[in-house]
Amino acid sequence: MRIGSAKQSYAADAALFDSRTQQAWLVLLMLALVAFPFLAGEYWLYLACLVAINIVSTMGLNILTGYTGLVSLGQAAFMGLGAYTVAILQARLGTPMLVNLLAAGVVAMVAGVLVGLPSLRVKGLYLAIATIAAGVITHFIFGHFSQLTGGSSGITVAPAQVFGIDLDSSFRLYWVIVPLTGLMLVGAANLFRTRIGRAFIAIRDRDISAAVLGIPLLPYKLLSFAIASFYAGVAGGLFAYFFRAVTPESFPLLMSIFFLAAVIVGGMGSVLGSVLGAVFMTMVPEVLKLIVSALPAALVGENATLVLSPVRTIVFGLMIVLFLIFEPHGLAEIWRRTRRLFHLWPFRT
Amino acid sequence: MTINKRELLALAASLAAPSFAMAQAKAGAKPAAPAEDIVMGASMPLSGVFAFAGIAIDLGIKDYLSILNEGGGVKGRKVRYVAEDTAYKVDQSMAAFKRITSQNKVNLYYADSTGFAKSVNPELERNGNILMTGASFGKELSDAQKYGLQFMVGPDYSEMVGILLQYIAKTKPGAKVALVYSDTEFGRDPVEAARASIKQLGLSVATEIVTAPGSVDVSAEVVKLRRADPDYTIFHGYVAAPIPEFINQAKSLGMKSQFMGTFWSMDHTTVMRMGANADGFMGVMPYRYYYDTEGKSPMLERIRKMRPDYQTTGYTQGFLAAMLLTEAAKRTLDAGNELTGKNMKIALSSIRNFDTGGLIGVPLSIKGNSIPIGRVYKADFKAQKMVPASDWINLTK
Repeated sequence: MRIGSAKQSYAADAALFDSRTQQAWLVLLMLALVAFPFLAGEYWLYLACLVAINIVSTMGLNILTGYTGLVSLGQAAFMGLGAYTVAILQARLGTPMLVNLLAAGVVAMVAGVLVGLPSLRVKGLYLAIATIAAGVITHFIFGHFSQLTGGSSGITVAPAQVFGIDLDSSFRLYWVIVPLTGLMLVGAANLFRTRIGRAFIAIRDRDISAAVLGIPLLPYKLLSFAIASFYAGVAGGLFAYFFRAVTPESFPLLMSIFFLAAVIVGGMGSVLGSVLGAVFMTMVPEVLKLIVSALPAALVGENATLVLSPVRTIVFGLMIVLFLIFEPHGLAEIWRRTRRLFHLWPFRT
Repeated sequence: MTINKRELLALAASLAAPSFAMAQAKAGAKPAAPAEDIVMGASMPLSGVFAFAGIAIDLGIKDYLSILNEGGGVKGRKVRYVAEDTAYKVDQSMAAFKRITSQNKVNLYYADSTGFAKSVNPELERNGNILMTGASFGKELSDAQKYGLQFMVGPDYSEMVGILLQYIAKTKPGAKVALVYSDTEFGRDPVEAARASIKQLGLSVATEIVTAPGSVDVSAEVVKLRRADPDYTIFHGYVAAPIPEFINQAKSLGMKSQFMGTFWSMDHTTVMRMGANADGFMGVMPYRYYYDTEGKSPMLERIRKMRPDYQTTGYTQGFLAAMLLTEAAKRTLDAGNELTGKNMKIALSSIRNFDTGGLIGVPLSIKGNSIPIGRVYKADFKAQKMVPASDWINLTK
């Protein structure tokens, strides 16, 4: 049982990591993340980078949907804007990677504010539908402003350079993508220790009450859109450097639904939930693929890949449905419950 | 709230799954292929929207490789095929590529989409040991400078439309042509080149209609088409819908325009499913159909013997892809060179008057990244067959 963790100051109460055990685990996690690229192969490094990019975008959407209660289906569109910003800046001006990523975030942020304007009038499903417009408009821009965006064939992105080194492999990109993801997660976690973050939560819980308490709704809702889109823009920028090609079809509506599903499966209104949701949504199809390929040939026959591909898709879908039914608070809640178990062991709550 | 044993067990299992999978990926990784094996990898869309083609392509590749391996392989070296499902998603295609290439010394690869072929290109250049082809006929990929280690098994989309336009110019000089295409990368691909060819061949553009892919209600578009009154209407960027809807509505309005399609909408099954109104539907096909008996085609006969049921044109595409990839490997080894991507591409480009066993009706020579040969076929609904409407058209001649 966890004892002796009485809080003696407000600062201690608000600390992100409040116990030695937690800090020790965090150090271990960081060591593991540093060691990972040296131990894992190209395939796992690729997945790690992909998961990290998805975490950034999921975190952004969780700030908007999970913390502020504004449902958005425009996350992929904002990612697209970020990706195109990076691709255009890289191809035309050759500006440094971090500048491009920052610009990607800012461009997406401006678009986010514009798309967020209807949020004062409409909520819930209505807002979700309004945000779909972002996807339609950006798709049109990417496809038709050919001189800037390369039209339907898109733009091929040269590898990013840091200190003269080409970031052209997952191993090299890992050292930029993962720390940046960590930084953005810490940023998000800290946001909810500030007035702004608490205002978001107040708006989510009851917007009229929040307004009565002195929170101006429109600026805060727009700020939430801005921050969420900034995260999406940076994720999109990383996507451009990672896949090295952006086309109008790289960011479909289905991608926005993917992030919304990641937020719900992971846990709405939780930083950890964003991480777990993105990991789940990205990794489960791959893990299922590995499990299927590991099944003995005698059991599944020669054409295992062919026969089991649809089964894999069905299992993935079923897992999401079962999660929603049996754990509506998401993976983060399971994590919390498990932690509580260890905190209180051998007693039960 | 409490956590019970079952939940704890489930959590442990869910935490263990990735590490189990990781262990499996490492332990289950097949030992590096013996030096004499040639490995062909594939990011194959066995599920998802493109599965109808992916499953057929996969089978075509497997069948050709089994014929090849039965005959002793490539200079005595067997060709091992390793494919993974991608659900037709670029990130999964890339994951499959990374996994297959990290566990096998891959020489040949089949890519499932234009998006993936573009994204993987820098990786191919870096790897240097792989020659790649795939399901895409995107014009951009026919740039041999930019995509030096890739090629496509047929004409690119612009060349497909070019073949149709050559046929039109010959059949009805000065004809009015309407272009109907989907608002996708796939749909827009040949449009610019088509406009230029139309002008060059003395034809004229009657109208251009852009629709959503797979759209259902096309009545407004059909009215626009009727007003333009084209002699020929070319559809591109679709597999089936909305082509049948277009044809049905246009015929009920008494339109006489000749409707045409490109490769992915030209499979026998797809066309026949359009119904009786599709009788006379034309399109470009780079390969012979499964049931073509015209001329000498020993490979088609062999396929018919192996597979008594109809095999789609996707199957033939996969079959031919495997044939050309392994031919490049064979020529490289014949020349005493190492199996690198560059050497295999040079060997592929040395192909002159190559007999595909009748899969393509004329001997083929490869110069760039595409093979601009095709033929116009016409649907004969009564005979339930696609029948040739032109001779083989080679755009390089």
